[in-house]
Amino acid sequence: MSVVRLRLLSAPAARLDLSGLTADALAGLSEPGISNLSLGSGGAKIGDVFAVSGSGSGDGVTLVLEGVTPACDGIGAGQRSGTLIVDGDAGAYAGRHMRGGRLDIRGSAGSWLAAGMSGGVVSVAGPAGDYTGAHLSGEKFGMSGGTVVIGGDAGERTGDRMRRGTIVVKGRAGAAAGSRMAGGTIWAENGFGAGPGPLMRRGTLIGPRAERLLSTFSDCGRHDLVILRLITAHAVATLGTLAPAPLPGLVRRYAGDMATIGKGEILLTA
Amino acid sequence: MTTPAFKTVNGITVDDTFAEAFGMSGTGLILTADSPRWAMIAAQTMTGFGTSVIGCGAECGIDRVLEPSETPDGRPGVRVLMFGFSPDSLLPQVKNRVGQCVLTSPGSACYNGLESTQKLAMSAGPRFFGDGWQTSKRLGSRRFWRVPVMDGEFVIEDSCGLTTDAVGGGNLLIIGTHRAGLLETTEAAVAAMAKVPDVITPFPGGIVRSGSKVGSKYKGAVASTNNAFCPTLRGTTVSELDDKTLAVLEIVIDGLTSQAVAAAMRAGLESVLATGAAKGVTRVSAGNYGGKLGQHHYHLKDMLS
Repeated sequence: MSVVRLRLLSAPAARLDLSGLTADALAGLSEPGISNLSLGSGGAKIGDVFAVSGSGSGDGVTLVLEGVTPACDGIGAGQRSGTLIVDGDAGAYAGRHMRGGRLDIRGSAGSWLAAGMSGGVVSVAGPAGDYTGAHLSGEKFGMSGGTVVIGGDAGERTGDRMRRGTIVVKGRAGAAAGSRMAGGTIWAENGFGAGPGPLMRRGTLIGPRAERLLSTFSDCGRHDLVILRLITAHAVATLGTLAPAPLPGLVRRYAGDMATIGKGEILLTA
Repeated sequence: MTTPAFKTVNGITVDDTFAEAFGMSGTGLILTADSPRWAMIAAQTMTGFGTSVIGCGAECGIDRVLEPSETPDGRPGVRVLMFGFSPDSLLPQVKNRVGQCVLTSPGSACYNGLESTQKLAMSAGPRFFGDGWQTSKRLGSRRFWRVPVMDGEFVIEDSCGLTTDAVGGGNLLIIGTHRAGLLETTEAAVAAMAKVPDVITPFPGGIVRSGSKVGSKYKGAVASTNNAFCPTLRGTTVSELDDKTLAVLEIVIDGLTSQAVAAAMRAGLESVLATGAAKGVTRVSAGNYGGKLGQHHYHLKDMLS
């Protein structure tokens, strides 16, 4: 395993697109080779923006980004393997279309975190912006696999059009989480903001409470569901110490959104 | 007696012969429930009438009881194994047995119990009991179906692993002069085999008293009594048995691998040789078809080395 450290030379004055700068993209490259890699579409090289140390030799690359700011967008976008550690706050689109490996953001993340992600693990120590695991305009679905864990709160519309995968929010998920959701799981340990699951077709929202439930969700009563055991076990297997506390035996199940096919559910644990 | 002896161990003769076994398709399932008792009920019901592919469609049995820490949902469980001639013949047996015996069992859930790149679409049948209310949940690389039932939800994994390298028909023939002692010895051998992972002994209590030969004088019967090992026919047929033999019991072994079958046969043989003589066991043999039908041959002399 090799470690490559990239330290931002100066805080960017404008948005800085770092999409494509992934751990796997540096595999097999020497330090000069990494410096000469193009960054984004503006013609800049990595060496123009970052101080580079280390090379991508050996199996598995760990890329550490230091000094990044919320102006740095697209961190880890498209990553297939390896580990990317962000020592700072990430901007928008971090982990977008990520397929594998691990993205650890030690600060906060902006909007569209893990948008369209299909595999791997994204962890954010702090809060994340709106539209985590969502889709971008023109895309049919949002996140289709992998696991996201957010240490703080998540913004609005977390999991918009999400299809598969798991989003764990250690804090509270903002309003309209799971909007238009087609599948997958959003587990918010401190509950949901107003109106979770609008036009949700399938999928599962889990939390202790919701600020206000939509009238198009039907109360199905309290149940002891085996699937909760599997969700808990999956979170532990995937996230280890970052996994949320095990789910209780009994949950109150609300089916919806009955304005669509109503095969989704909100499971309230409190 | 026509089969020559290889060796006598602890007063028991071991024949110079081999068990002839066949390539099979196999799978494993993990059944869980709210209690060990109900996990076992589901497993026993599902594996019932699963002694021989000839008449039952599949050979089924319980591999072992699982602790809650070993099951996907953390509840008590049982691992069952199923074997068939081919994946195509095994799949309907899996679907039917899960649908009729596990789905119906209170509090049950059904998971894949064999890691393999080949899969059987285990849920393609049972999940449709949900009549459109069933939903799926993909967690990582595994997909589960939740089927609404009257005590909550029946959870079934989408598919189970398949191996086409399984083996069916490993066997031991245990021969003695005292029927009760022979049964005790054979039961102990089955218990010894049960400690070997990835094998089952699919007959009642793991024991067959009606060993068979291929074919019959009657049209349409593919198998019939093994007259050479029937003690009551000793004077009327070419018999394998000496004058003192009163009974013969057989243990048939199916395994997910050939190595597992061999290990089980060895464990069973060691058990018989260790305790059988005092209980009237005089000889151990094995069933074969001259070596022309089955791909796997397990020589008893190899089990003694």
